[in-house]
Amino acid sequence: MLETFNFRVIFEYLPLFGSCFLATLWLSAAGLVGALVIGTLACSMRIGRHKLIAIVAAAYIESIRSTPLLVQLFFFYFGLPSLGIRLSEAATGILALALNSGAYLAEIIRAGIQSISHGQVEAAVASGLSYIQRMRHIILPQAIGVTLPPMLGQAIVLVKDSALLSLISLPELTRAGQIMTSERFMPAEGFLTSAVFYLLIYYMLKWMTAWSQKRLIYMQA
Amino acid sequence: MERYSVQRAMIEFKNVHKWFGDLHVLKDINLEVAQAEVMVVCGPSGSGKSTLIRSINRLEPIQKGELVVDAMKVHDPKTNMTKLRAEIGFVFQQFNLYPHMTALQNVTLAPMKVRKIARKEADDMGRYSLEKVGLGDKLHQYPAQLSGGQQQRVAIARGLCMRPKIMLFDEPTSALDPEMINEVLEVMRNLAREGMTMIVVTHEMGFAREVSHRVAFMDFGELTEIAPPGEFFSHPKSERTKLFLSKILTH
Repeated sequence: MLETFNFRVIFEYLPLFGSCFLATLWLSAAGLVGALVIGTLACSMRIGRHKLIAIVAAAYIESIRSTPLLVQLFFFYFGLPSLGIRLSEAATGILALALNSGAYLAEIIRAGIQSISHGQVEAAVASGLSYIQRMRHIILPQAIGVTLPPMLGQAIVLVKDSALLSLISLPELTRAGQIMTSERFMPAEGFLTSAVFYLLIYYMLKWMTAWSQKRLIYMQA
Repeated sequence: MERYSVQRAMIEFKNVHKWFGDLHVLKDINLEVAQAEVMVVCGPSGSGKSTLIRSINRLEPIQKGELVVDAMKVHDPKTNMTKLRAEIGFVFQQFNLYPHMTALQNVTLAPMKVRKIARKEADDMGRYSLEKVGLGDKLHQYPAQLSGGQQQRVAIARGLCMRPKIMLFDEPTSALDPEMINEVLEVMRNLAREGMTMIVVTHEMGFAREVSHRVAFMDFGELTEIAPPGEFFSHPKSERTKLFLSKILTH
Protein backbone atom coordinates (compact mmCIF):
# COMPACT_ATOMS: atom_id res chain seq x y z
CA MET A 1 0.00 0.00 0.00
CA LEU A 2 2.81 2.35 0.92
CA GLU A 3 4.27 1.80 -2.54
CA THR A 4 1.36 3.68 -4.03
CA PHE A 5 1.49 6.42 -1.38
CA ASN A 6 3.27 9.32 -3.00
CA PHE A 7 5.37 11.33 -0.54
CA ARG A 8 7.10 13.23 -3.35
CA VAL A 9 3.88 14.92 -4.39
CA ILE A 10 3.23 15.94 -0.77
CA PHE A 11 6.57 17.74 -0.71
CA GLU A 12 5.69 19.35 -3.99
CA TYR A 13 2.46 20.67 -2.51
CA LEU A 14 3.97 21.63 0.85
CA PRO A 15 4.12 25.38 0.05
CA LEU A 16 0.37 25.30 -0.71
CA PHE A 17 -0.32 23.45 2.52
CA GLY A 18 1.91 25.89 4.39
CA SER A 19 0.00 28.95 3.23
CA CYS A 20 -3.36 27.21 3.74
CA PHE A 21 -2.25 26.14 7.24
CA LEU A 22 -1.56 29.79 8.05
CA ALA A 23 -4.96 30.72 6.63
CA THR A 24 -6.71 28.15 8.84
CA LEU A 25 -4.71 29.47 11.78
CA TRP A 26 -5.63 33.09 11.34
CA LEU A 27 -9.26 32.45 10.34
CA SER A 28 -9.68 30.29 13.46
CA ALA A 29 -7.81 32.74 15.69
CA ALA A 30 -9.93 35.65 14.46
CA GLY A 31 -13.05 33.50 14.88
CA LEU A 32 -12.02 32.53 18.40
CA VAL A 33 -11.29 36.10 19.49
CA GLY A 34 -14.64 37.17 18.05
CA ALA A 35 -16.32 34.23 19.78
CA LEU A 36 -14.76 35.17 23.14
CA VAL A 37 -16.01 38.76 22.83
CA ILE A 38 -19.47 37.69 21.66
CA GLY A 39 -19.63 34.88 24.23
CA THR A 40 -18.69 37.12 27.15
CA LEU A 41 -21.16 39.76 26.00
CA ALA A 42 -23.97 37.27 25.43
CA CYS A 43 -23.30 35.65 28.80
CA SER A 44 -23.37 38.91 30.74
CA MET A 45 -26.52 39.92 28.87
CA ARG A 46 -28.13 36.61 29.67
CA ILE A 47 -27.36 36.62 33.41
CA GLY A 48 -27.92 40.37 33.74
CA ARG A 49 -30.90 41.97 35.42
CA HIS A 50 -32.53 43.43 32.31
CA LYS A 51 -35.30 41.03 31.20
CA LEU A 52 -35.57 42.08 27.54
CA ILE A 53 -31.81 41.99 26.96
CA ALA A 54 -31.66 38.57 28.60
CA ILE A 55 -34.36 37.30 26.22
CA VAL A 56 -32.47 38.64 23.19
CA ALA A 57 -29.28 36.90 24.34
CA ALA A 58 -31.13 33.65 25.04
CA ALA A 59 -32.76 33.77 21.60
CA TYR A 60 -29.34 34.22 19.94
CA ILE A 61 -27.80 31.34 21.91
CA GLU A 62 -30.74 29.01 21.29
CA SER A 63 -31.05 29.68 17.57
CA ILE A 64 -27.32 29.18 16.93
CA ARG A 65 -27.14 26.01 18.97
CA SER A 66 -30.18 24.48 17.32
CA THR A 67 -29.15 25.01 13.66
CA PRO A 68 -26.28 23.55 11.62
CA LEU A 69 -23.18 25.68 11.15
CA LEU A 70 -23.32 24.91 7.42
CA VAL A 71 -26.78 26.49 7.19
CA GLN A 72 -25.55 29.53 9.11
CA LEU A 73 -22.51 29.81 6.83
CA PHE A 74 -24.59 29.56 3.66
CA PHE A 75 -27.03 32.12 5.06
CA PHE A 76 -24.19 34.60 5.58
CA TYR A 77 -22.53 33.74 2.24
CA PHE A 78 -25.55 33.55 -0.06
CA GLY A 79 -28.30 35.13 2.04
CA LEU A 80 -26.69 38.35 3.21
CA PRO A 81 -25.67 39.55 -0.30
CA SER A 82 -29.24 38.98 -1.48
CA LEU A 83 -30.29 41.30 1.35
CA GLY A 84 -27.77 43.84 0.13
CA ILE A 85 -25.00 43.19 2.67
CA ARG A 86 -21.74 42.35 0.96
CA LEU A 87 -18.81 40.95 2.92
CA SER A 88 -15.54 39.41 1.73
CA GLU A 89 -15.29 35.61 1.91
CA ALA A 90 -12.84 35.80 4.81
CA ALA A 91 -15.10 38.20 6.73
CA THR A 92 -18.09 35.97 6.10
CA GLY A 93 -16.18 32.93 7.31
CA ILE A 94 -14.91 34.62 10.48
CA LEU A 95 -18.37 36.03 11.21
CA ALA A 96 -19.95 32.59 10.92
CA LEU A 97 -17.32 30.94 13.13
CA ALA A 98 -17.41 33.72 15.76
CA LEU A 99 -21.22 33.84 15.98
CA ASN A 100 -21.42 30.06 16.12
CA SER A 101 -18.75 29.44 18.78
CA GLY A 102 -19.81 32.57 20.68
CA ALA A 103 -23.12 30.93 21.54
CA TYR A 104 -21.37 27.87 22.95
CA LEU A 105 -18.80 29.93 24.83
CA ALA A 106 -21.57 32.03 26.39
CA GLU A 107 -22.97 28.88 27.98
CA ILE A 108 -19.51 27.68 29.08
CA ILE A 109 -18.76 31.02 30.76
CA ARG A 110 -22.17 31.08 32.40
CA ALA A 111 -21.61 27.60 33.82
CA GLY A 112 -18.20 28.70 35.12
CA ILE A 113 -19.53 31.72 36.96
CA GLN A 114 -22.55 29.88 38.32
CA SER A 115 -20.36 27.04 39.58
CA ILE A 116 -19.05 29.34 42.30
CA SER A 117 -21.29 29.03 45.31
CA HIS A 118 -23.01 32.19 46.46
CA GLY A 119 -21.93 31.41 50.01
CA GLN A 120 -18.27 32.03 49.21
CA VAL A 121 -19.09 35.40 47.74
CA GLU A 122 -21.11 36.22 50.83
CA ALA A 123 -18.22 35.19 53.09
CA ALA A 124 -15.96 37.51 51.11
CA VAL A 125 -18.47 40.36 51.44
CA ALA A 126 -18.73 39.73 55.18
CA SER A 127 -14.98 40.01 55.62
CA GLY A 128 -14.93 43.38 53.87
CA LEU A 129 -13.53 42.46 50.43
CA SER A 130 -14.59 44.85 47.67
CA TYR A 131 -16.31 43.80 44.42
CA ILE A 132 -13.03 43.95 42.50
CA GLN A 133 -11.16 42.02 45.18
CA ARG A 134 -13.88 39.36 45.19
CA MET A 135 -13.68 39.04 41.41
CA ARG A 136 -9.88 38.94 41.42
CA HIS A 137 -9.30 36.54 44.33
CA ILE A 138 -12.45 34.44 44.62
CA ILE A 139 -14.57 34.34 41.46
CA LEU A 140 -12.24 34.63 38.46
CA PRO A 141 -9.49 32.21 39.56
CA GLN A 142 -12.10 29.54 40.08
CA ALA A 143 -14.24 30.42 37.05
CA ILE A 144 -11.25 30.42 34.69
CA GLY A 145 -9.95 27.19 36.19
CA VAL A 146 -13.35 25.58 35.67
CA THR A 147 -13.93 26.92 32.15
CA LEU A 148 -10.48 26.43 30.58
CA PRO A 149 -10.92 22.75 29.66
CA PRO A 150 -14.37 23.18 28.03
CA MET A 151 -13.09 26.35 26.33
CA LEU A 152 -10.19 24.36 24.88
CA GLY A 153 -12.75 21.83 23.67
CA GLN A 154 -14.74 24.58 21.96
CA ALA A 155 -11.58 26.05 20.41
CA ILE A 156 -10.75 22.65 18.91
CA VAL A 157 -14.31 22.33 17.57
CA LEU A 158 -13.95 25.78 16.02
CA VAL A 159 -10.71 24.84 14.25
CA LYS A 160 -12.30 21.68 12.87
CA ASP A 161 -15.45 23.58 11.87
CA SER A 162 -13.28 25.99 9.89
CA ALA A 163 -12.98 23.15 7.36
CA LEU A 164 -16.49 24.14 6.24
CA LEU A 165 -15.04 27.43 4.99
CA SER A 166 -13.59 25.40 2.09
CA LEU A 167 -17.18 25.38 0.80
CA ILE A 168 -17.10 29.14 0.31
CA SER A 169 -13.79 28.68 -1.55
CA LEU A 170 -11.50 30.08 1.12
CA PRO A 171 -7.99 28.66 0.63
CA GLU A 172 -7.61 26.85 3.93
CA LEU A 173 -6.36 23.38 4.91
CA THR A 174 -9.28 21.30 3.70
CA ARG A 175 -9.34 23.29 0.46
CA ALA A 176 -5.65 22.48 -0.01
CA GLY A 177 -6.47 18.77 0.13
CA GLN A 178 -9.25 19.31 -2.40
CA ILE A 179 -6.93 21.22 -4.74
CA MET A 180 -4.31 18.48 -4.58
CA THR A 181 -6.97 15.87 -5.18
CA SER A 182 -8.44 17.61 -8.19
CA GLU A 183 -5.08 18.44 -9.79
CA ARG A 184 -3.29 15.10 -9.25
CA PHE A 185 -6.10 12.83 -8.10
CA MET A 186 -4.36 11.90 -4.87
CA PRO A 187 -7.10 12.08 -2.22
CA ALA A 188 -5.26 9.88 0.29
CA GLU A 189 -2.13 12.02 0.27
CA GLY A 190 -4.07 15.28 0.09
CA PHE A 191 -6.53 14.80 2.93
CA LEU A 192 -4.06 12.96 5.15
CA THR A 193 -1.74 15.95 4.89
CA SER A 194 -4.62 18.24 5.82
CA ALA A 195 -5.35 16.01 8.81
CA VAL A 196 -1.73 16.12 10.02
CA PHE A 197 -1.81 19.92 10.00
CA TYR A 198 -5.09 19.92 11.98
CA LEU A 199 -3.42 17.61 14.48
CA LEU A 200 -0.58 20.11 14.76
CA ILE A 201 -3.03 22.89 15.64
CA TYR A 202 -4.69 20.64 18.19
CA TYR A 203 -1.38 20.10 19.98
CA MET A 204 -0.60 23.82 19.89
CA LEU A 205 -3.93 24.58 21.59
CA LYS A 206 -3.40 21.85 24.15
CA TRP A 207 0.05 23.19 24.98
CA MET A 208 -1.29 26.74 25.32
CA THR A 209 -3.99 25.57 27.72
CA ALA A 210 -1.49 23.67 29.87
CA TRP A 211 0.76 26.74 29.94
CA SER A 212 -2.04 29.10 30.93
CA GLN A 213 -3.25 26.72 33.63
CA LYS A 214 0.22 26.70 35.12
CA ARG A 215 0.31 30.50 35.07
CA LEU A 216 -3.09 30.52 36.77
CA ILE A 217 -1.69 28.52 39.66
CA TYR A 218 1.15 31.03 40.03
CA MET A 219 -1.39 33.86 40.03
CA GLN A 220 -3.26 32.32 42.93
CA ALA A 221 -0.13 31.72 45.00
CA MET B 1 -29.98 49.99 82.34
CA GLU B 2 -27.52 49.09 85.06
CA ARG B 3 -25.55 46.92 82.67
CA TYR B 4 -25.61 49.68 80.08
CA SER B 5 -24.09 52.26 82.43
CA VAL B 6 -21.14 50.00 83.17
CA GLN B 7 -20.59 48.41 79.79
CA ARG B 8 -20.74 50.02 76.41
CA ALA B 9 -23.45 48.68 74.08
CA MET B 10 -21.62 47.05 71.20
CA ILE B 11 -24.71 46.35 69.12
CA GLU B 12 -27.89 48.34 69.40
CA PHE B 13 -31.15 47.77 67.51
CA LYS B 14 -33.75 50.51 67.81
CA ASN B 15 -37.19 49.87 66.29
CA VAL B 16 -35.68 47.95 63.40
CA HIS B 17 -37.91 46.67 60.60
CA LYS B 18 -37.17 44.68 57.49
CA TRP B 19 -39.30 43.39 54.66
CA PHE B 20 -38.63 40.88 51.88
CA GLY B 21 -41.18 42.21 49.41
CA ASP B 22 -44.47 41.92 51.29
CA LEU B 23 -43.04 39.66 53.93
CA HIS B 24 -42.35 41.50 57.19
CA VAL B 25 -39.31 39.56 58.48
CA LEU B 26 -38.08 41.84 61.27
CA LYS B 27 -40.79 43.55 63.30
CA ASP B 28 -39.81 46.40 65.57
CA ILE B 29 -36.62 44.84 66.93
CA ASN B 30 -35.17 46.45 70.04
CA LEU B 31 -32.02 44.87 71.39
CA GLU B 32 -28.77 45.86 73.06
CA VAL B 33 -25.78 43.60 73.24
CA ALA B 34 -23.02 44.75 75.57
CA GLN B 35 -19.32 44.39 75.02
CA ALA B 36 -18.12 40.89 75.97
CA GLU B 37 -21.68 39.64 76.14
CA VAL B 38 -22.62 36.28 74.65
CA MET B 39 -26.17 36.15 73.38
CA VAL B 40 -27.89 33.10 71.97
CA VAL B 41 -30.83 33.55 69.62
CA CYS B 42 -33.20 30.65 69.09
CA GLY B 43 -36.62 30.15 67.57
CA PRO B 44 -38.48 28.20 64.89
CA SER B 45 -37.10 28.18 61.35
CA GLY B 46 -38.26 31.11 59.30
CA SER B 47 -38.67 33.27 62.39
CA GLY B 48 -36.03 35.77 61.21
CA LYS B 49 -33.03 34.76 63.38
CA SER B 50 -30.64 34.61 60.46
CA THR B 51 -31.91 37.87 59.04
CA LEU B 52 -31.42 39.46 62.44
CA ILE B 53 -27.72 38.69 62.64
CA ARG B 54 -27.14 39.18 58.91
CA SER B 55 -28.44 42.70 59.26
CA ILE B 56 -25.65 43.52 61.73
CA ASN B 57 -23.00 43.64 59.00
CA ARG B 58 -25.54 44.62 56.35
CA LEU B 59 -25.55 41.33 54.49
CA GLU B 60 -29.26 42.17 54.71
CA PRO B 61 -30.02 45.90 54.69
CA ILE B 62 -32.76 47.07 57.04
CA GLN B 63 -35.52 49.37 55.86
CA LYS B 64 -36.61 51.15 59.01
CA GLY B 65 -35.17 51.96 62.41
CA GLU B 66 -31.66 52.45 63.75
CA LEU B 67 -28.90 49.91 64.03
CA VAL B 68 -25.63 51.03 65.63
CA VAL B 69 -22.70 48.65 65.79
CA ASP B 70 -19.42 49.64 67.44
CA ALA B 71 -20.56 53.27 67.28
CA MET B 72 -21.11 53.03 63.50
CA LYS B 73 -24.55 53.56 61.99
CA VAL B 74 -25.38 50.51 59.90
CA HIS B 75 -28.75 52.00 58.90
CA ASP B 76 -26.99 54.98 57.32
CA PRO B 77 -26.14 54.28 53.64
CA LYS B 78 -23.12 56.58 53.96
CA THR B 79 -21.42 54.41 56.58
CA ASN B 80 -18.20 52.79 55.36
CA MET B 81 -19.15 49.14 55.58
CA THR B 82 -15.67 47.86 54.75
CA LYS B 83 -14.37 49.34 57.99
CA LEU B 84 -17.25 47.92 60.00
CA ARG B 85 -17.13 44.49 58.38
CA ALA B 86 -13.45 44.24 59.28
CA GLU B 87 -14.53 44.42 62.94
CA ILE B 88 -17.14 41.66 62.65
CA GLY B 89 -16.31 38.01 62.10
CA PHE B 90 -19.15 36.03 60.54
CA VAL B 91 -19.45 32.24 60.66
CA PHE B 92 -21.94 30.61 58.29
CA GLN B 93 -23.85 27.37 58.59
CA GLN B 94 -22.24 26.06 55.39
CA PHE B 95 -18.68 27.20 56.31
CA ASN B 96 -18.28 28.96 52.93
CA LEU B 97 -14.52 28.52 52.74
CA TYR B 98 -12.70 29.39 49.51
CA PRO B 99 -12.06 25.95 47.99
CA HIS B 100 -9.11 27.03 45.84
CA MET B 101 -7.13 28.25 48.83
CA THR B 102 -5.39 26.43 51.68
CA ALA B 103 -6.54 26.92 55.28
CA LEU B 104 -3.80 29.51 55.79
CA GLN B 105 -4.68 31.36 52.57
CA ASN B 106 -8.35 31.34 53.58
CA VAL B 107 -7.63 33.08 56.87
CA THR B 108 -5.00 35.54 55.59
CA LEU B 109 -6.79 36.87 52.49
CA ALA B 110 -8.92 39.48 54.24
CA PRO B 111 -6.18 40.67 56.65
CA MET B 112 -3.91 41.31 53.66
CA LYS B 113 -6.51 42.84 51.34
CA VAL B 114 -8.79 44.68 53.77
CA ARG B 115 -6.44 45.49 56.65
CA LYS B 116 -3.48 45.85 54.24
CA ILE B 117 -1.20 43.80 56.45
CA ALA B 118 2.05 42.49 54.90
CA ARG B 119 2.07 38.81 53.95
CA LYS B 120 4.66 37.78 56.52
CA GLU B 121 2.80 39.32 59.42
CA ALA B 122 -0.52 38.05 58.07
CA ASP B 123 0.92 34.53 57.86
CA ASP B 124 2.02 34.76 61.50
CA MET B 125 -1.47 35.93 62.51
CA GLY B 126 -3.04 33.21 60.38
CA ARG B 127 -0.89 30.52 61.97
CA TYR B 128 -1.81 31.82 65.41
CA SER B 129 -5.55 31.85 64.60
CA LEU B 130 -5.46 28.33 63.21
CA GLU B 131 -3.49 27.07 66.21
CA LYS B 132 -6.10 28.65 68.42
CA VAL B 133 -8.86 26.54 66.86
CA GLY B 134 -6.66 23.45 67.10
CA LEU B 135 -5.62 23.26 63.46
CA GLY B 136 -1.96 24.24 63.68
CA ASP B 137 -1.10 21.10 61.73
CA LYS B 138 -3.55 21.76 58.86
CA LEU B 139 -2.19 25.11 57.60
CA HIS B 140 -1.57 23.92 54.06
CA GLN B 141 -4.57 21.65 53.61
CA TYR B 142 -7.35 22.60 51.22
CA PRO B 143 -10.95 22.68 52.51
CA ALA B 144 -11.82 19.51 50.60
CA GLN B 145 -9.15 17.66 52.60
CA LEU B 146 -10.72 18.65 55.93
CA SER B 147 -13.70 17.25 57.83
CA GLY B 148 -16.81 19.36 58.36
CA GLY B 149 -15.82 20.22 61.92
CA GLN B 150 -12.33 21.20 60.81
CA GLN B 151 -13.73 23.33 57.99
CA GLN B 152 -15.99 25.17 60.40
CA ARG B 153 -13.03 25.78 62.71
CA VAL B 154 -11.06 27.22 59.78
CA ALA B 155 -14.05 29.48 59.15
CA ILE B 156 -13.93 30.64 62.77
CA ALA B 157 -10.18 31.22 62.47
CA ARG B 158 -10.83 33.23 59.31
CA GLY B 159 -13.06 35.52 61.36
CA LEU B 160 -10.61 35.72 64.25
CA CYS B 161 -7.65 36.53 62.03
CA MET B 162 -9.16 39.97 61.40
CA ARG B 163 -8.92 40.61 65.17
CA PRO B 164 -12.63 41.44 65.25
CA LYS B 165 -14.55 43.04 68.09
CA ILE B 166 -17.65 40.98 67.41
CA MET B 167 -18.19 37.40 66.24
CA LEU B 168 -21.53 36.37 64.73
CA PHE B 169 -22.48 32.72 64.29
CA ASP B 170 -25.38 31.68 62.05
CA GLU B 171 -26.26 28.10 63.05
CA PRO B 172 -22.58 27.08 63.08
CA THR B 173 -23.19 23.44 63.98
CA SER B 174 -26.39 22.71 62.03
CA ALA B 175 -24.58 21.31 58.98
CA LEU B 176 -22.22 19.13 61.02
CA ASP B 177 -22.31 15.44 61.80
CA PRO B 178 -23.13 14.95 65.49
CA GLU B 179 -19.64 13.78 66.47
CA MET B 180 -18.12 17.00 65.13
CA ILE B 181 -20.42 19.47 66.87
CA ASN B 182 -18.51 19.48 70.12
CA GLU B 183 -15.11 20.44 68.67
CA VAL B 184 -16.72 23.56 67.19
CA LEU B 185 -18.66 24.40 70.36
CA GLU B 186 -15.44 24.02 72.37
CA VAL B 187 -13.74 26.68 70.26
CA MET B 188 -16.74 28.95 70.76
CA ARG B 189 -16.71 28.33 74.53
CA ASN B 190 -13.08 29.42 74.66
CA LEU B 191 -13.86 32.57 72.72
CA ALA B 192 -16.68 33.43 75.10
CA ARG B 193 -14.38 32.96 78.08
CA GLU B 194 -11.88 35.37 76.55
CA GLY B 195 -14.53 38.07 76.46
CA MET B 196 -15.48 38.15 72.79
CA THR B 197 -18.80 39.84 72.03
CA MET B 198 -20.85 37.12 70.39
CA ILE B 199 -24.31 36.55 68.96
CA VAL B 200 -24.98 32.90 68.23
CA VAL B 201 -28.02 31.64 66.36
CA THR B 202 -28.23 28.03 67.44
CA HIS B 203 -30.43 25.25 68.69
CA GLU B 204 -27.64 23.92 70.94
CA MET B 205 -29.44 24.58 74.20
CA GLY B 206 -26.62 23.03 76.24
CA PHE B 207 -24.29 25.68 74.87
CA ALA B 208 -26.85 28.39 75.60
CA ARG B 209 -27.30 27.26 79.20
CA GLU B 210 -23.61 26.93 79.87
CA VAL B 211 -22.01 29.83 78.02
CA SER B 212 -24.50 32.56 77.20
CA HIS B 213 -25.39 35.58 79.30
CA ARG B 214 -28.82 35.95 77.76
CA VAL B 215 -31.04 33.89 75.49
CA ALA B 216 -33.46 35.50 73.05
CA PHE B 217 -36.47 33.80 71.50
CA MET B 218 -37.58 34.89 68.10
CA ASP B 219 -40.95 34.14 66.53
CA PHE B 220 -42.59 35.52 63.35
CA GLY B 221 -39.99 38.28 63.11
CA GLU B 222 -40.37 39.46 66.68
CA LEU B 223 -38.08 39.12 69.67
CA THR B 224 -40.68 37.82 72.06
CA GLU B 225 -38.55 36.92 75.03
CA ILE B 226 -35.07 37.78 76.29
CA ALA B 227 -33.80 36.44 79.59
CA PRO B 228 -30.72 34.98 81.30
CA PRO B 229 -30.48 31.26 80.51
CA GLY B 230 -31.50 30.06 84.00
CA GLU B 231 -34.73 32.01 83.84
CA PHE B 232 -35.30 31.39 80.15
CA PHE B 233 -35.22 27.62 80.50
CA SER B 234 -36.92 27.23 83.88
CA HIS B 235 -39.63 29.89 83.60
CA PRO B 236 -40.34 30.71 79.95
CA LYS B 237 -42.95 33.42 79.87
CA SER B 238 -44.87 32.83 76.67
CA GLU B 239 -46.69 29.72 75.49
CA ARG B 240 -44.82 29.82 72.19
CA THR B 241 -41.48 29.68 73.97
CA LYS B 242 -42.66 26.79 76.14
CA LEU B 243 -43.89 24.90 73.09
CA PHE B 244 -40.65 25.50 71.22
CA LEU B 245 -38.51 24.44 74.17
CA SER B 246 -40.56 21.31 74.74
CA LYS B 247 -39.98 20.32 71.12
CA ILE B 248 -36.30 21.10 71.06
CA LEU B 249 -35.29 19.80 74.49
CA THR B 250 -36.84 16.37 74.03
CA HIS B 251 -34.49 15.72 71.10
